[in-house]
Amino acid sequence: MSAIQFQRVSKIYRRSHLGRTTETAGLIELDLDISRGEVFGLLGLNGSGKTTAIKLLMGLHLPTKGEVETLGRRAPNIEVLARIGYTPEAAYLNKTLTGRESLRLFAALSGIPRAEREKRVSDILRKVGLDKALDVRLADYSKGMLQRTSLAQALVHDPELIILDEPVTGLDPLAIKEVRALILWLKSKGKTVLFSSHDISEVERVCDRIGILSGGRLVKVMRQDEWRGKADALETAFAAAVARTDGVGPIRME
Amino acid sequence: MQTISPVFAYTFKELVRRKAWLSSAVFGLVLLGGALIVSALGQDERARLMLDLGLAAIEAISLIGVVFLTVSLILQEVESRVIFLILSHPVRRADYLLGRYLGTLAAVTLSMAGMALLHAALLSLYGWWEPGRYLAALVCMAGKTAVMGALSLLLSLALTSEAAAMAFALFFWVLGHFSSEMRFLADRSGSAFLKTTLIAFSHAAPDFAHFNYRDFWHAPAPAAGWLAWAVVYALAYTTACLALAVQLFEQKEF
Repeated sequence: MSAIQFQRVSKIYRRSHLGRTTETAGLIELDLDISRGEVFGLLGLNGSGKTTAIKLLMGLHLPTKGEVETLGRRAPNIEVLARIGYTPEAAYLNKTLTGRESLRLFAALSGIPRAEREKRVSDILRKVGLDKALDVRLADYSKGMLQRTSLAQALVHDPELIILDEPVTGLDPLAIKEVRALILWLKSKGKTVLFSSHDISEVERVCDRIGILSGGRLVKVMRQDEWRGKADALETAFAAAVARTDGVGPIRME
Repeated sequence: MQTISPVFAYTFKELVRRKAWLSSAVFGLVLLGGALIVSALGQDERARLMLDLGLAAIEAISLIGVVFLTVSLILQEVESRVIFLILSHPVRRADYLLGRYLGTLAAVTLSMAGMALLHAALLSLYGWWEPGRYLAALVCMAGKTAVMGALSLLLSLALTSEAAAMAFALFFWVLGHFSSEMRFLADRSGSAFLKTTLIAFSHAAPDFAHFNYRDFWHAPAPAAGWLAWAVVYALAYTTACLALAVQLFEQKEF
């Protein structure tokens, strides 16, 4: 059974400036099916369409063509959003609130009943190691603490599907290890996890399958048995599959 | 609908913590101090001068405050990307917009109430105490504030620039004081184009004549019907602006 389905999805960004309209393809004809309980990694360079695909799932973007389904319903769907946890590439949180207030807000928005809310908030903040900073304003949190709060808001309502956009970018090695453990723990609980990353070594350690995006196209899908136990198999496949689309040439060692 | 109250609460908390009200309160104190000095010039008219200047200052500060806050209300959340996390939860965009608007209005009303309390206390020291009439004036000001807030919010979503929205809000605020004059000119105009333009502007701009508490100021008491009509007009104009703002907001991608 599918947790996520992209059916020939294209996303074209149109920008108008001084009467001239330019079009950029964010995604082109994406066909992808992610099963429930699966950990799926989206790999790609900057501008390859990873974040666009995630924003389409969350209803922050609308497809130009094709259909996106999450948990069996056409996205965006308000009821389905209550069953999805999402962490963007950076902790986009309102810094005037404390950790507890922020989590209370997201718990309330996710429809957690008032009677349960306090317990859920305290539990999840303890789980992500922020129980000593519950009443500190987010403006005084470190980057790592903000990332944990961002993860906590994605998990506070115990979602079935967790979507993590670049969850390890900019984290220290210890924090990366913790995020890896978290993904594996979520998998052991039967959750579906979709995450995007540049980091091939992270992806190959936790994913059941990966998809490589290049220039908005899904150029390759690989199963774990295609890279497990084969040194550099994923990196080689990645390098062969992608092409730079950001106008940056290779470093020449001459 | 259940998500309006958490959005309202966090907006109110955010604005109170950002001390948005403090600058207007301090400004109000300064202006009231000025009124006190001016009132010393005319001994016989001291209370009347205090009353007029104080109310004018409260109204001006509240209007400036609500316009400044509402034009940046959504745009700053988009810029800081906090909106990503809010809208990736099961929140209807209309509920989000309404919660943000009401939270801002509540913060501005709180600031207005603080200034009014101080003003009323000073007036009572000068022997003026007519709470019914004073409250009626405050209701008119609150109506005007609600209308300008909704209009500024709509303009910010239509123009997607804080500066442009502020300039247009000022334009409509000026026009709103000349609605009857515009209709008068339209009646006498020979040009069909000018007539249509004037009538269109007189209907699009809020008609602030409905909130002119000075009309009853020196009469025995404000008519209840007049006041009720001011409230109905404020509600109708605000609802229309918010409905249009929701339409625009529903189309937006982040």
